[in-house]
Amino acid sequence: MNYSALFLQLLPEAVLVLAALVMLGAAVATGKKPGRVFSSGVGVSIATFGILLAAAAMFFVPQDGATSTSLLENDPLARIFKAVVLGLGLLAVWLPPVRREIGNLGEYYALVLFALTGLLLAVGSNHLLFLFVALELASLSLYLLAGFPRTPRAAEASLKYFLFGGVSAAFMLFGISLLYGVSHSATLSGIAQVLEASQPSVLAMTGLAMLLVGLGFKLAAVPFHYWAPDVYQGAPATTVAIVSAASKAVGLVVLVRILQIGFPNVAGSAAWGEMTAGWSLWLAVLAAVSMIFGNLLALAQTSVRRLLAYSAVANTGYLLVALSANGPKAAASALFYVVVYGLATLGALAVTAAVERDRGDDRVSSFAGLIHRSPFQAVCLLVFLTSLAGIPPLAGFFGKFALFSNAMGESAAGGNPGLVWLVGLGVILSAVSLYYYLSVLKQAFVTSAPDELSEAHGLGPSHVLCVLLPAALLVILGLFPSLLLAPITRALMESLR
Amino acid sequence: MTPAWTLISAFAGALLVLLLPARAAGSARIIALVASIVGMAAAALSCLARLNTPDATPWSYDKPWVENLGIRFHLAADGISLTLLLLTGVVAVAGVLFSWNVEKRPRAFFAWFLTIIGGVYGVFLSRDAFLLFVCYEIVILPKYLLIAIWGSTNKEYGAMKLTMYSIAASALILIGLVAAYAAAGATSFDLLHLASTTYPPAMQAWAFPVLFLGFAILAGMWPFHTWAPTGHVAAPTAASMLLAGVVMKLGAFGALCVAMPLFPQGFELWRPLIAGLAVVGIVYGALTALTQRDLKFVIGYSSVSHMGFVLLGLAAANHWGLRGAVLQMISHGIIAGLLFGIAGRVVYERTHTRDLAELQKFDLWKSLPGAAIAFTLATAASMGLPGFSGFVAEISVIIGLWQSYPWLTIAVAFGIIITGAFSLRALHRAFFPARTANAAAAPPLPPLTWPEISAIGLLLAVSLAIGIYPKPWVVLIDDGLRSPLFQSILPLP
Amino acid sequence: MHLLYTILFPLLGAVWLGVRPGMSRKGAGTFALACSLLALALACGSHGAQWLLPWMPDAGMNLSFRVNGISWLFLVLTGLVVSFAIAASPRNERAGRGYYALILVMQSALFGVFTARHFIPWFLCWEMTLIPSYLLIRLWGGGGAPRAALRFFIMTLGGSAFLLVGFLALQLSAGTMDFSELAKLAANQQLTVALARTFVASGLSGHTLLTVVALAVFLGFAVKLPVVPFHAWLPAAYAEAPTPVTMLLTGLLSKMAVYGLLVIFLPVFPEVLPSLAPLLSWLAAATVLLGALAALAQTDLKRLLAYSSVNHLGYCALAIAAAASMQGDRNALAAALSGTVLQAFNHGIIASTLFFGIGIMEQRGGGLRGLNDFGGLRAQTPVFCGLFGLAVFASLGLPGLSGFVGEFLIFNGVFALTPGVAVLSVLGLLFTAVFLLRMMRKVFHGPFKPALAKWPDLSNGERLLFGLATALIVIPGLFPQALLRFANPGIVELLDLLRPIP
Repeated sequence: MNYSALFLQLLPEAVLVLAALVMLGAAVATGKKPGRVFSSGVGVSIATFGILLAAAAMFFVPQDGATSTSLLENDPLARIFKAVVLGLGLLAVWLPPVRREIGNLGEYYALVLFALTGLLLAVGSNHLLFLFVALELASLSLYLLAGFPRTPRAAEASLKYFLFGGVSAAFMLFGISLLYGVSHSATLSGIAQVLEASQPSVLAMTGLAMLLVGLGFKLAAVPFHYWAPDVYQGAPATTVAIVSAASKAVGLVVLVRILQIGFPNVAGSAAWGEMTAGWSLWLAVLAAVSMIFGNLLALAQTSVRRLLAYSAVANTGYLLVALSANGPKAAASALFYVVVYGLATLGALAVTAAVERDRGDDRVSSFAGLIHRSPFQAVCLLVFLTSLAGIPPLAGFFGKFALFSNAMGESAAGGNPGLVWLVGLGVILSAVSLYYYLSVLKQAFVTSAPDELSEAHGLGPSHVLCVLLPAALLVILGLFPSLLLAPITRALMESLR
Repeated sequence: MTPAWTLISAFAGALLVLLLPARAAGSARIIALVASIVGMAAAALSCLARLNTPDATPWSYDKPWVENLGIRFHLAADGISLTLLLLTGVVAVAGVLFSWNVEKRPRAFFAWFLTIIGGVYGVFLSRDAFLLFVCYEIVILPKYLLIAIWGSTNKEYGAMKLTMYSIAASALILIGLVAAYAAAGATSFDLLHLASTTYPPAMQAWAFPVLFLGFAILAGMWPFHTWAPTGHVAAPTAASMLLAGVVMKLGAFGALCVAMPLFPQGFELWRPLIAGLAVVGIVYGALTALTQRDLKFVIGYSSVSHMGFVLLGLAAANHWGLRGAVLQMISHGIIAGLLFGIAGRVVYERTHTRDLAELQKFDLWKSLPGAAIAFTLATAASMGLPGFSGFVAEISVIIGLWQSYPWLTIAVAFGIIITGAFSLRALHRAFFPARTANAAAAPPLPPLTWPEISAIGLLLAVSLAIGIYPKPWVVLIDDGLRSPLFQSILPLP
Repeated sequence: MHLLYTILFPLLGAVWLGVRPGMSRKGAGTFALACSLLALALACGSHGAQWLLPWMPDAGMNLSFRVNGISWLFLVLTGLVVSFAIAASPRNERAGRGYYALILVMQSALFGVFTARHFIPWFLCWEMTLIPSYLLIRLWGGGGAPRAALRFFIMTLGGSAFLLVGFLALQLSAGTMDFSELAKLAANQQLTVALARTFVASGLSGHTLLTVVALAVFLGFAVKLPVVPFHAWLPAAYAEAPTPVTMLLTGLLSKMAVYGLLVIFLPVFPEVLPSLAPLLSWLAAATVLLGALAALAQTDLKRLLAYSSVNHLGYCALAIAAAASMQGDRNALAAALSGTVLQAFNHGIIASTLFFGIGIMEQRGGGLRGLNDFGGLRAQTPVFCGLFGLAVFASLGLPGLSGFVGEFLIFNGVFALTPGVAVLSVLGLLFTAVFLLRMMRKVFHGPFKPALAKWPDLSNGERLLFGLATALIVIPGLFPQALLRFANPGIVELLDLLRPIP
């Protein structure tokens, strides 16, 4: 193998790692001298620089297909989502420097960069074992990132995240080993060839199911979602942003790759009246319970962060609906939606962070009178939450619409009911979701705040960007969804060829 | 001016209002007025143009939007759309005039107001199911905010209830549309394409009620009407006018132009039930209105009753019925706007009560004669007295109904009689109370202002114009009904 | 277009009154009088005019108006009585612009009712009279006005509903609501066929169905006329309305029903009329008799005259019922129809004059109008007494005055067509004479009430009005041919439609 070619292919990841090392070095250098503190500004600057450099490095990665190896795929889909991960990661870094109680910011941002590296690697991986390693790199970083503030809440979040994550990683690894045992291959195409040649064995199906459990944890699908509310509530905003946006996008890309490339012929069917066992049906069930539990539990939340956590669970459900339709167009719209969802959640977190800073907590009632305190934040919050609720003309609406339309389109040709049961459930629960998003917006726009609390501090420039950019992108992608949807569809088609 | 100006004027107006600096907030209403007048003028001129060149191809604008799903940005204006656009324009102008004195956050108020108007224009113009759905959903959030922020009487509950009904309705619509899209080959959301596909009967049997119910909820079909009275009562005047006047019409329009053409066999199957529910709605709405104490609730329930006629016309599914349904949409839009405008703005702003018993103390005939006369005329229109638009519409619906379900006409006649009763009761109690010997002298009330008079005059004039000379409207509606969309329901001779 | 202008002219006047806030009450009255007089002039010149505008794109649904002999007479009557009522309105505090505007609206509507040839515009105008009259009674009436007005409104609205249903049934079966078209179909006996075909599900014969429809339409007219069991709204409404409005109610609104029966009911339902005729005749006779008997029992002058109106309009109903039998010769039929037209016209003038007189008494007496409140007025107000007496005598049908001509022609025809009922109804004439003379005796003769001592006689304006009205009573009484000459072409037209069905 040509190591220099391999290195070129991993140039962005390498840049990120280098940036992380620089960050650590800087932190150590400043930390040694008494009276000098590693300021968050430096940390954010170095991280920003590193991420931008990594993004620039993507242009130097050779783009011809011949460079793909058995381990790494460098197809357009990977490139798009690497860019997405870097973009979402950048926005996450720009969030206000977490909570003041974080002591070692240098280590924190270095771990952020490591997590992003893991996610980048996972996007392009073509080999299950390599994928496992990449995901673990990201996960281990995230476990730590969740527990950084050293508050009891954060500790609980970190511990839960770690325990559930560890178990699911074990499942995943066991599943991979079973699959390897059946097919003597850990590459997706290799597995596909074997499964195509013979009747799928029980072992292979068990392996797949375990793999799905692992990924279900990443995506926070019910019943693997228990970590989510605590992490969303207890972890620093930047961590939550990465977990909810970048990590979810990567989880979905990986899932799409595995299922569509590795296991296209054990899909079974979830269509009404013709259900057969297979991952399509499993995902449909996961989707249904995720949507139901996510939306219903979100109704009862008083903390906006927990609310966003359950909304994340529900949104995983919508994504799985599209995947269970087992068609490239539906998968493409799920990939589109996950980006849009990431932007909206990230923006909402950014506004929540601002409100937390001003009002001390993230209860729904703390949002009261936001429109008077800061019209900018309120309007952007409106954009984020209505996008999540699926109200036009925002991208979230189009994403859901495309997702449901394509799920139906690929499962219900010629007037068959197809996935209508699942799509119908999704659409109706999505309507229910408007209720809890509106309850936040009601506080922000309708209820007036007590007078003594009605002043808002200005946001830092990076924080403003972190609110403004997602909002602008959501509007633009809502009006012209083809800007993103068309490339994703093309890329996915190419990867599946 | 092409019909597109309606859409452009509304959204541009909303944007302009939002961009106004805080110290110029007072001029928001002027911008809103200009924008809505431009929209009304565009609609009126387009109607005239269509009347002058009836054989020309209707105006349309068609550009690809999202290729992945076969979505096109397709606007077109046939006769039905044009008349409904004009209705929207008229109600919008009247709504702005009735909101002339909004003091609280005027920029946001008029921005949301114009957004609703724009969304409504968009629905009436869309020929692509996706675009139609987008415009339909755009309306939801502004509705919520208008009611929750500027409303009265239990506003947050009313707003939330209305919003949840609307979003549930749109969920059903989405399911129905997506099912049709999938079954038609998943290539296009064009309404004509969807309507020209023949779906298997088994699918139509379930898809039609889902889609139709989605639209019918918004049209206030009994027993899914409960959002309407609460929402209308809670809403500020202009929003009540818009809700009852045009937003309920979105549902009826969707039922007519989407649900029925897409699934004609399903429609045939469910038609008797729709007719039955419509009749129940007419009678129930009227009976409930008869027992209300709040003037706005009376009007709210009367809307349920009147929208029953629209659904009934649709269920009749013949030329007279459909024509009557569209006429009733327009007629009710105008009349409900007028009634809500007078009750909510003219009377409530001065007396601060809408309770029929309380209103008696004000002796409104003496203290506010202009409002009393206007409300009398509006009541007459609402009762369907000849000369007003309601008569033309109801008589068309009844003729159509007769040809389909003759026996139901009896129940409808019953409903009309109760309508007369509750209208008179409300009119009597609110405006012409019996003089009592020892009644305290009625407090003097400020007289009608010019914006109010112009709004009342505009709405009354339109209602009378339709009632006395409906021909141009009917010509336009017939023109719309000849569209290939309705081939499956209303085959051309 | 001339006809359109005629119809719209008073309405425009009303709108002008409505939008001119600065106009004084007196100015408003004068303006309204000028409007109605001009409208009268326009109406006089509208003989033979017609106007048509397609109402719906479908064939046959037109706003069509036409003036024939009969309508012309009713138009003129409308102009006269409205002008009279406006002139007679007291220029006091209460009557303002709104009052006059409503009266002018009513004039427009009445013009429309008397000229429309299609159900839609006709019904539009028919209902358009309702709201102004309701408001006029309600707002400017006496203490019991709210109840009276509401009862009036609801009963007439109920009647209209039956009218509407009846004509809708015709539209649904025969496909038209144009009166001439319907008459043409009826003459060819197509209506029963069409009804039987449309309502086949009911299992009834076409004749039965058409009878039901005809009864529904008749009911609509019967409430307005009113025919006896449907008269419950009338006494209170007439009594509580301000007197000029009562003039309109009795002089014109009841004539709408006469006109409708004559020009719409008779030509459209000849297929079932013979079988309905006995019922109609007995109802008419009951109206004549009960109206007179009820009048005998009244002590309130306005109520008394109200029942007297019921009684007099009963004669019209009688003649129409007789014509409905469609037997007997053409001359008798012609006499009955001409009599109806004349009676309608003359009763319009006479009854408004009588109410005008009551109004004068009411004004002088500060609201007094009981039969026993007055007495011996002849000496106090001789001119008034003379002119009022003349009107009373015209009302009870003294030959030489206009009331006689109509009743004479009616009985002329009725005796030939339905002798039994005619004999019974003659009793009504007797009672009429009794109660009217009793009224004369109590009010003008009898012991003088000292409270009336300060009453002035008629002012100059009142003399002028009363004189003009008297002229309108005397001249047609002496020269009935003058009126008949105008009405004749219309009556001939009607007669041709009423050929007995072979």
